[in-house]
Amino acid sequence: MRPSLSHSIYVTFRIAQKDLLDFWKAKMLVGTFMLMPILMMSMFGSMFPSTTGTSNPYRNAPMAMVMEDDGSLAIQVADQFKDISASTGLFKVRDFPSFKSARDEILTGSIKGVVLIPEGFADAFNSHRQATVLITVDDTNAQMASIIYGEAASIVGAISDNFGRSIITKMGISSDPSFVTEPIGVQRENLIGSTTNSFQFLAPGFMGLTVVMGTLSGLASAISREKEQGTMDGIMVAPISRNTIVAGKMIAQTVRGMIQAFMILGLSMLLFGVKIYGSPLLMVGVLLLGVASFAGIGLIMTSIAPEQETAQMMMLLLQFPMMFLSGILFPMDQLPGWLQWVGKALPLYYAADALRKVIVLSANFNQIFMDVAVLALYSVTTLGIAIPVFRKAMTR
Amino acid sequence: MKPIITTHDLTKKFGDFAAVDRINLEIMKGEVFGFLGPNGAGKSTTIRMLVTLTSPTEGTAVVDGFDVRTHADEVRRRIGLVAEKLILYPRLTAVENLMFFGELYGMSRAELRPRIDELLRMVHLENFKDMATGGYSSGMRQRLNIIRGLVHDPDILFLDEPTALLDPQSVRFVRDLVKELNANGKTIILTTHIMEEADELSNTVGIIDHGKMVAVDETAFLKSQYKCDTLEEVFLELTGRTLRDSASGRVPMRMTMGRV
Repeated sequence: MRPSLSHSIYVTFRIAQKDLLDFWKAKMLVGTFMLMPILMMSMFGSMFPSTTGTSNPYRNAPMAMVMEDDGSLAIQVADQFKDISASTGLFKVRDFPSFKSARDEILTGSIKGVVLIPEGFADAFNSHRQATVLITVDDTNAQMASIIYGEAASIVGAISDNFGRSIITKMGISSDPSFVTEPIGVQRENLIGSTTNSFQFLAPGFMGLTVVMGTLSGLASAISREKEQGTMDGIMVAPISRNTIVAGKMIAQTVRGMIQAFMILGLSMLLFGVKIYGSPLLMVGVLLLGVASFAGIGLIMTSIAPEQETAQMMMLLLQFPMMFLSGILFPMDQLPGWLQWVGKALPLYYAADALRKVIVLSANFNQIFMDVAVLALYSVTTLGIAIPVFRKAMTR
Repeated sequence: MKPIITTHDLTKKFGDFAAVDRINLEIMKGEVFGFLGPNGAGKSTTIRMLVTLTSPTEGTAVVDGFDVRTHADEVRRRIGLVAEKLILYPRLTAVENLMFFGELYGMSRAELRPRIDELLRMVHLENFKDMATGGYSSGMRQRLNIIRGLVHDPDILFLDEPTALLDPQSVRFVRDLVKELNANGKTIILTTHIMEEADELSNTVGIIDHGKMVAVDETAFLKSQYKCDTLEEVFLELTGRTLRDSASGRVPMRMTMGRV
């Protein structure tokens, strides 16, 4: 007599519920589990700052202003720079007597850059030649240097634009001054109709990564620990299908992974202004498929590992390269060609890609069909191999 | 008495190594069968085959009329396993543990509630039923471990080292419990390294060494046959006095996982 389908379904959920209850009772473990997404978000949020979100850490960045030219025009430019910096909240500008003194301050880390109005600035302007402002930034952090330089240059650009307009007006040219100063303009139109936020790119990947890592390491420890402590024998001698054990464990780990994923999403929305532009239901579907695509791999590893420690090391071995090669922390295009192929062989790439498309670009099912198909193929293939391997490992 | 467990040339090989080598056994319904042997002799592997945790490589094993290979679920319904490693979740309470394992056997919560109360009373744990079992003493854990194997009321109970590491009071309690369960009709397969325990509790003992059965008979008969006063002397007579897991002895390939 085989176990009935309804009993098998009941037992599957009962195993999942037992695992979750057992987990819930380990208070310190639960605390660490909850802390992980918070820590991850704070860490990566600071490492990969958005230039437009409320979290931009370079707002009110300390800047030095050095005036080598003391003409009224130079003072006018310097004052405008300070005004715009203050009104936009981009820089806190302090005057320094010389470039050398300002440069020394950069080395101590107390200022992020120097705006230098060189000697002869006003002369050049008055002789109808282009006058130049020099910007020096702290190059020790390339990403920060690029942001600071960009912001400072844009302020100087705005001042220059104002001067240009007044010159054209004084010349009595009837055309729109903009036509003369900038005959071809450029305006950024964002695909998602909002400001670009680098976290918008990172958050979906983090969600995928968290769910997958949670499932992999959770499954490894859930099965290996039970094998090691002997409780797995108690389950295996019960008249239940082996598939229900696998399914029950998977459900419990998926629930745990989903909790962390939603914590990440919630924190991203709350702290970093991330928005879900697509269907939340489709997003959950992709996350679940991501879990299924990894469950098989996790199951194979935990089945062949002789004990929990080895199983966890094996999971780490898989997780570590995956973090860097799946286009989550860095866009895939930044990787050398052969590494891109390695990354594309891992299911996390497709899960992160589909999540990003759904969350950021509001993609529908058809638009992520290829990602979904690859994940489904992965799930079926790896679980198809894993279940017999698990059964064999448990009865060897 | 009729046999409730029968094996025919039951064999388990790991590669070329035969952990259990063509053993033939008949365990009678209602008896306490003491299954003895030195470390690594093949006891645990045999038990694991009988309880369907390991598949035999060759031969057959029939438990209460069902082949362990072809009718594993039927066998599982009829047996209870009390392994040496506790089958308990330390963070869960006694009731949560018993409820979980009971439900795996298809019992409803309504059926389980009175059954669990009865079992907890039997081993004097009714006042600790809502306590996480990780906080239990060794004796309490082992008592709970035994009733966990009984929660679905099996006819056959496999007891693996039930008194290892227990204090004398707990040892006495467990031995009396085994007698009581047997008196109530349970067939018990007891593995132990404590020969006086096997002598006290078993009607029949089987001694396995190097994967082969070297003796199966009533304890009194074995003692008279080998002219020994105690079962321990019989055991040493049949299995020798050399340490099995020393440098001079043969160490079986899979004497692992805490199995006896």
